[in-house]
Amino acid sequence: MSTHIPGRRNSTRSNDIRKLLGEPGLLFAILIIFYLLIVFVIFPIFQVFKTSLSYDGAFSARNYAEVLSRSYYIEPFFNSMLLGIITATIGTLIGFMFAYAITRTPMKGKEIFRLIATFPIVSPPFVISLAFILLFGRSGVFSGAIGNIYGLKGLVIVEVIAYSPTAFLALVGVLRAIDPALEEAGMDLGASRIKVFRTVILPLATPGIVSAWLLVFIQSVADFGNPMILSGDFPVLSVQAYLQITGMYDLARGSTLAILLLLPTVGAFYLQKYLLARKSYVTVTGKPTSATIKNLEWYIKLPVYSVCVFFAAVVLLFYGMVVYGSFQKLWGVDSTLTLANYVTMWRVGKGYILDSLIISSIVTPITGIMGMFIAYIITRKKFPGKNALEFASMLTFAVPGTVVGIGYIIAFNTPSVLMPVTLTGTGLIIIVLLVFRNMPVGIRNGVAALQQIDPSIEEASIDLGADSGMTFRNVTLPMIIPAFFSGLVFSFVRSMTAISAIIFVVSGKWNLITVAVLGFVDNSQYAQAAAMSILLIAIVLIALAVIKSITDMLGKGMNTATIIE
Amino acid sequence: MNQHYLELRSLTKSFGKGETKVTAVDHIDLAVCEGELVTLLGPSGCGKTTTLRMIAGFHTPTSGDVLIDGVSVNALPPNKRPTAMVFQNYALFPHMTVAENIAYGLKIRGDSRESIDTQVEEMMNLIGLQGLAKRQPRELSGGQQQRVSLARALVMEPKVLLFDEPLSNLDAKLRVSTRLEIRKLQQRVGITSVYVTHDQEEAMTLSDKVVIMKDGIIQQIGSPSEIYSHPCNRFVAAFIGKANFLEADIVKVTDTQLLMKINGKDVSAPCWNKSIRKNDHVLVVARPESIILGEPSADLIEGTVRDSVYFGSQMLYEVQIATDQTVQIEIADPQHHKHYEKGTKVGLTFKDRSLHVLTELEGAGNET
Repeated sequence: MSTHIPGRRNSTRSNDIRKLLGEPGLLFAILIIFYLLIVFVIFPIFQVFKTSLSYDGAFSARNYAEVLSRSYYIEPFFNSMLLGIITATIGTLIGFMFAYAITRTPMKGKEIFRLIATFPIVSPPFVISLAFILLFGRSGVFSGAIGNIYGLKGLVIVEVIAYSPTAFLALVGVLRAIDPALEEAGMDLGASRIKVFRTVILPLATPGIVSAWLLVFIQSVADFGNPMILSGDFPVLSVQAYLQITGMYDLARGSTLAILLLLPTVGAFYLQKYLLARKSYVTVTGKPTSATIKNLEWYIKLPVYSVCVFFAAVVLLFYGMVVYGSFQKLWGVDSTLTLANYVTMWRVGKGYILDSLIISSIVTPITGIMGMFIAYIITRKKFPGKNALEFASMLTFAVPGTVVGIGYIIAFNTPSVLMPVTLTGTGLIIIVLLVFRNMPVGIRNGVAALQQIDPSIEEASIDLGADSGMTFRNVTLPMIIPAFFSGLVFSFVRSMTAISAIIFVVSGKWNLITVAVLGFVDNSQYAQAAAMSILLIAIVLIALAVIKSITDMLGKGMNTATIIE
Repeated sequence: MNQHYLELRSLTKSFGKGETKVTAVDHIDLAVCEGELVTLLGPSGCGKTTTLRMIAGFHTPTSGDVLIDGVSVNALPPNKRPTAMVFQNYALFPHMTVAENIAYGLKIRGDSRESIDTQVEEMMNLIGLQGLAKRQPRELSGGQQQRVSLARALVMEPKVLLFDEPLSNLDAKLRVSTRLEIRKLQQRVGITSVYVTHDQEEAMTLSDKVVIMKDGIIQQIGSPSEIYSHPCNRFVAAFIGKANFLEADIVKVTDTQLLMKINGKDVSAPCWNKSIRKNDHVLVVARPESIILGEPSADLIEGTVRDSVYFGSQMLYEVQIATDQTVQIEIADPQHHKHYEKGTKVGLTFKDRSLHVLTELEGAGNET
């Protein structure tokens, strides 16, 4: 319509600044956000770069030359890539079959399958490694069934289970956006189901599939918890970088490995974003539909259903094994059921659990409010440097936790101009790290929610006499509350289950539950590790249920489908 | 009655600067009387919505004034203007019930609880939404949502009610019945209204006055019948209804009549335009229903039937009158007229005082 005039975007920058000066509160808030993002996002990553590029105090590429010339250092890089590629390929394949089953087939019990498939997302990732050891380890139920569990094979199995759900969730969205009528049209024109799949569905879904692959690749390469437990003599970058720093006290080499870890993941992240931005033609058909194909051929159903059932069974088996293991007297030796592990776990880990709860309760609301505020200014306000702000606030999503953790210990070990007090060793460093690491998802949800709100709804409110403050309170805020709470859920879950970045900044004074679990596993106290994991999962599920019920109450009448996804 | 209740004076809006500058509305003047319904009609991008949004206050004019009841509202933000808009996509608040939606503006204004309740109820009765007070907008049909949107605006008793293509999201049948209701309601309440649409039928049936716009410029303002029978230019003639354009040479001008030759045959038309002189080459607008089909004869324009389509209440003929020109002819009541088969030679005459002569000439042709 005539309201959309090209060239409007070129409306002058000085105009934006003048408008902003009229709202000093907003201007101040934006400046604060800029400062925080520079200190807690850009600065640490910059420090990792700087450290990797200095040798004996001078600027030099020698660290890279050394790392690249010695197979001891370069091997982890190729190992990480190999692991990432295999995991992403298998994970995407399983995720696609699962997504196809959920969106297109008349499979029964979809809700249960969906629940099981998303479970690995809300639990700490290394729980799967733990279950894997309980199942196939030296004293495991199926001991020896698949040979040596430490190394590439074990990591692929564990990471596929942990990360195919990510591909599944991404691909459900992709397949929903493809109108089933296209498939019908293809078959109506004489193509077989397989042919239609190859010529219509696959080309339309390709950008989405590639982007799902990249997401799994990033997660696999950045994974720390599982390789820490299972990598054995198959060293990967994230673990090697950690060991260089905590074992060898070699910051320069650790940073160099961290940069080698950073480049492919950030590259993959922006490639993925680019692909998603281009795939918009998929959704032009309008409303997302989930119409299923009633009379699907058996040769499609059979493999798809088998994969779903098998995957769901594996997930159940793994988590069941953790529950079972947590009640055994001595794993593999004495299978008497007992609560002793929970008692031990509580005695040893009480402090960790409390710290985790305290820190998560502080992190969660801060992340939620700040994320929503940033989403609001990104979508509704104009100011210079907006793109830079958006970029910086989303950056931590792409940067592997190991890199962030290393950045934080280098950046905040000593006072600097940007941060005049030493943060290392405090609870505060854990809090800011988690806030900035968890915020991108809150921002993304907020932006999505705000973009869904037709500006004419806000205009209607203004037209009826409300000023912009009243409009925000009465109209905008109630409509973005579901997204706000979903940001809270994510932030809480991640705060409770994060490990990779956190392990660098925990201290004697402030420690976290995930670090405790890893400690138990390190000491081969698998039963206690299992007990603590179960407690952790229980806390997360209770929190999820509470936040979801609040959201349902507040968000009634609204589209809450985006909450968990 | 105030003759100029809503007034636009030399209103202009341009977007962008320098080479990318686009003037969406170009120095338009318009006066709307109290209680009138005026439609802004034109194709996409003609500036009609921009004009409406300047009246509402969502766009700031680049230059010019908007006056309501004699007072300039230029400096007022949208929330302080005595206008209320009915949005194209309804723009109902999805988290409020129907009653809450309608009550919204009254609450903002600070009316008392009881007063709001009474007003909302009266409005819901007036507009036929009884029993839907507690519903959520998404539980309503498109037509019902549109009524809520109308009720929400009307309950504010604005000085000027604004409609932004309110029917474009409804299906064809509902569109027709809803526009009749809107017209009845508007007349009953007597509210001054500005209505934006690109649907010429909607504009014709609803309006006291139609404003035809193109490229940000007003082409013609007039009652629906004025615009239909005396379009001021080819664009207006083609945009409103169907039109055949015939080239003609003026042979004689009298006080009341123009005599001319079309395809070498004598034709007369009423003289509306005093600037037309003898020997002028002009364009004549002949509406399809003003042409009479008959047997060929030496003093009539000759043609050959190329196609005919039966519509029940009428018959549409396509008749070729020159190698590069065909005209469309509508015959009402076809049961009582002779049917001409494809290929038949026919003679064309025009109904009395039905032709309209335009001064501009951009080449003849057929446009509908």
